[in-house]
Amino acid sequence: MHRMLTMKLLKNRLLLHALTILILLFLIVAPPFLGKDIINILMKILVFGLAAMALDLVFGYSGLWSFGHAGIFGVGAYTVCLLMWHFSVYNFWLLAIAGIVAAVVAAAIFASLGLRMRGLYFMLTTFALGELVAAMARTFRKITNGTDGIWPMRYPDLGFGITLSHTGLFYFVLVVVIISGIILFRITKSPFGYSLQSLAENEVRARTLGYNTQLRRFIAFLISGFFVGLAGVLYVYTNGGINPPDAGMATSGLLMILVILGGVGTIWGGLVGSAVMNLLNYFISIIIPARWPIFLGVVFILTIFFARGGLYPRIANACKKAIGYGNTEG
Amino acid sequence: MIFLFSVLCGLSYGMVLFLLAAGLSIVFGLMGIVNLAHGLMYMSAAYIGIIVAKLTGSFWVGLLAALVSSGLLGLIIERGLLRTLYREQLSQILVCFGLVYIITNLHLWAYGPYPKAAPVLPSVLSGSLTLGQFEFMHYRLAVIVVGALLCGFLFWAQERTKLGSIVRAGMDDPETVRALGINLMTINIGAFVFGSVLAGLAGYIGIPVIGGVVPTTGESVLFLGIAIIIIGGVGSVQGTLAGALLIGVGSSLSQSFYSPLAKFFIPLIMLLILIFRPGGLVYRK
Repeated sequence: MHRMLTMKLLKNRLLLHALTILILLFLIVAPPFLGKDIINILMKILVFGLAAMALDLVFGYSGLWSFGHAGIFGVGAYTVCLLMWHFSVYNFWLLAIAGIVAAVVAAAIFASLGLRMRGLYFMLTTFALGELVAAMARTFRKITNGTDGIWPMRYPDLGFGITLSHTGLFYFVLVVVIISGIILFRITKSPFGYSLQSLAENEVRARTLGYNTQLRRFIAFLISGFFVGLAGVLYVYTNGGINPPDAGMATSGLLMILVILGGVGTIWGGLVGSAVMNLLNYFISIIIPARWPIFLGVVFILTIFFARGGLYPRIANACKKAIGYGNTEG
Repeated sequence: MIFLFSVLCGLSYGMVLFLLAAGLSIVFGLMGIVNLAHGLMYMSAAYIGIIVAKLTGSFWVGLLAALVSSGLLGLIIERGLLRTLYREQLSQILVCFGLVYIITNLHLWAYGPYPKAAPVLPSVLSGSLTLGQFEFMHYRLAVIVVGALLCGFLFWAQERTKLGSIVRAGMDDPETVRALGINLMTINIGAFVFGSVLAGLAGYIGIPVIGGVVPTTGESVLFLGIAIIIIGGVGSVQGTLAGALLIGVGSSLSQSFYSPLAKFFIPLIMLLILIFRPGGLVYRK
């Protein structure tokens, strides 16, 4: 009986896995033949996908509506940019550590101020803190170059005299994002991940069972901050630099919609949402670049009305149906 | 004199902010959503008001157009979009956020990126008071009076009328209010539209006080509004007033006496409130 069930589940996932492997194969084989702009889009998908996956850990699994994740993202990115600009530090590993540590510290501040409140108040607090980061970036002109942003336009220097090329950067980002995604996914399938879900669903019960719910939320937020910070670090390289709006509410809202579009509480959904949104951005911007925000807003609203369940679970289900198995969850 | 002048300037600024944030606060309290589209009412009313005022040559017709248009926009958003997402707070918030992108870009499309200046003030309001070496516009005085009157009215309505007690009860315990046979839906629509009209009023009368309007005004005043409800606390007239005046007068004073602080005044206060008094100065419940 058990074996049959396992077999069924395996077959159910077969097509989804086949699809994933196909996409991965494409991403591994194709880049040398692709134009620079396509590679840029793919990297953007990966970086925002990573940030969205990290947001999903607190948003989808812990029930915390963080509207300030772009602030943490910005802290990571700005740390890297400032070190490059003011102190001429170019070693990737040093920069990555500095950016991630700064982002985790920012996440700790966000969480310790925000977690005293629930629901909407948490959202307001994180919103305010995220905007605070953007405001600082805009205001301290001498340090952050104000609204112009900082544009180091460099490729990662991995030490030992290795500096990545454009295609090399793409592979690097691909590997980092996939490994991070796997780690995040494993976290959600760990006892810690299940406990997060339990306390999002029923806080009182989780607390009665002896969990320190507040501490668990805090840790989840820090883990999320770690990966958002990592995304911020990568963003400096893939984007060439950063300016204040990347840390502001527009980006925070975007990350949220990526998670919802892809599927809340699925981790990989963030990547799917990011792919759909960025490809849409790319194709619409070819036709009418100045009106992209209108389309973005429309996609926002359509997502909320028609795709709240998320695309990733739908794709997974469609795959199962296509090979003749019913509409099984899981 | 400079102190008095700055305080008066700050008061007029604070009153505009109060009108802006009042709707945000009521909607937050009643419907449990952060209306991220609130800044849009302010901005679109300002634009429409300026254009109508220019066409008709009358400040007052422009004012009327601003109020009507913001009310209509509020009604359309509430009825057309938010109603269908009843009680799905996060979805409602994100729909509002989607609107920010759409309407901001439409404004950019229609009016261009350059600031639109304030309409010509009617002669009654165009003089100024002399305070030492400073000239204080009569107009700003009028804004303070209008703001104070509306604030008094709102406070009276909140504390002394049946509608006010329904609204307060609706914030604290919507289930019971509905069980008493009161249609909270109507109250919600009313509050949403009323809040939008107040934002529209703030947008139009605020142009000479705050400065010209650009397509990103919606987002920047949204931030101010949210700062006010964080500082003042949500869901009460007193709280909103406290937050608005603190920001208005504080910004103005820091501008006069220690200008490096001015840019950073609002985030600083907000941070202090978040650390020492989460929930705001006037915390309900």
